[in-house]
Amino acid sequence: MKRVHILHYLVLGAILIGGIATFIYVQSNTSIQFIVGIATAAAYVCWGLIHHALAGDLHEKIVVEYILIGAIAIVLLATVLGV
Amino acid sequence: MEVLVHLFIPRHTNNHRSKVLHVDALLVYILVFAVFNLALRSLHRSMPDVLGYATDIHVEQLLAGTNAKRQASGLAPLTLNSLLSQAAAAKAQDMLTKNYWAHNSPTGATPWDFISGAGYKYVVAGENLAKNFSTSQVVVDAWMASPSHRDNLLKSSYKEVGYAVVNGVLGGEETTLVVQMFGASTSSLALAPPVAKPPVLTENALTIQKANPSVAVAGNAGTMQQTTNKQGIAGAFEGVTIRPLVNIPTLTRNIVFVFAGVLLGVLLVDAWVVRRRRVVRVAGHNLAHFLFLSAIIVAASMVGRGSLL
Repeated sequence: MKRVHILHYLVLGAILIGGIATFIYVQSNTSIQFIVGIATAAAYVCWGLIHHALAGDLHEKIVVEYILIGAIAIVLLATVLGV
Repeated sequence: MEVLVHLFIPRHTNNHRSKVLHVDALLVYILVFAVFNLALRSLHRSMPDVLGYATDIHVEQLLAGTNAKRQASGLAPLTLNSLLSQAAAAKAQDMLTKNYWAHNSPTGATPWDFISGAGYKYVVAGENLAKNFSTSQVVVDAWMASPSHRDNLLKSSYKEVGYAVVNGVLGGEETTLVVQMFGASTSSLALAPPVAKPPVLTENALTIQKANPSVAVAGNAGTMQQTTNKQGIAGAFEGVTIRPLVNIPTLTRNIVFVFAGVLLGVLLVDAWVVRRRRVVRVAGHNLAHFLFLSAIIVAASMVGRGSLL
């Protein structure tokens, strides 16, 4: 893996760890937990698009794929949270 | 067999991307889960005995749990007071009638209005609220995990407590409310044994002073004042036991975890095969998707349905 990719994945790791930590912090309120989930998914989609744009291989199909993966995460959280 | 390979292994028939990871398949999962969620709510509303939220919360368990935490901290146990329980019952009923989830009602009624209304003359009082937890122990554990609620549970100046546990509809969804009202009256203070440890006060807790009696509301703060004594619980608010045929949290968790497990597995297999065959394709990074969905599943595994206030 290229050095720049390692840096990108470190950023992704920070986004995900931050998302989980915030999710745990607001555990007494499921609505806020859901919002944290949406924010984390949005951050992930942004990360994906920026990562591919910087790598020079951002394609329409990839944009849709990241948005759908983010949306899947949101519906899974909505199912478990019951919101 | 051919179909399974087409679905799960990247090759020329699926454009070198497992069919179950194609954009159209991802869209189908979203729609299926959206329909599943809507159907679940609809079935829960029409057949709550079949599809519902298993609940087992009772006043005696809440009291025992609260006192166990207090005694572990070297504090005197609280005694159950019927007037505080009446106040808690009135508050719970008010929340369901006026459809709100807050310490103060939309008409401006504060927790101490309910306490005074029940005839309890307090020198210090407080309120903890909880909704949609499954068991009494989980409620107490959640209160202990929240700094402001923990402060109320472990406040040495409280001598008595009252509870109401009631099931109803709040915000359009079936809800089990738990109202915990703390208090100390002049008579209870005179009768109280010496406290083994001074109170632990944080910025969310209110300092209790005789000259300026106060009410502490978890996560909030207010001031007021006022006695009485009698043991007991407010009749119909002693507890809620619901045992549906299918417990929604168990069902949804199992479905989500199995689905996510399969998806994560396919992402790994897809990435491994493509790497091994050195296929160049236009697609997102499986490793990134894997990490992201794993984080979501970790978060989902820690979800509890309950909320505190």
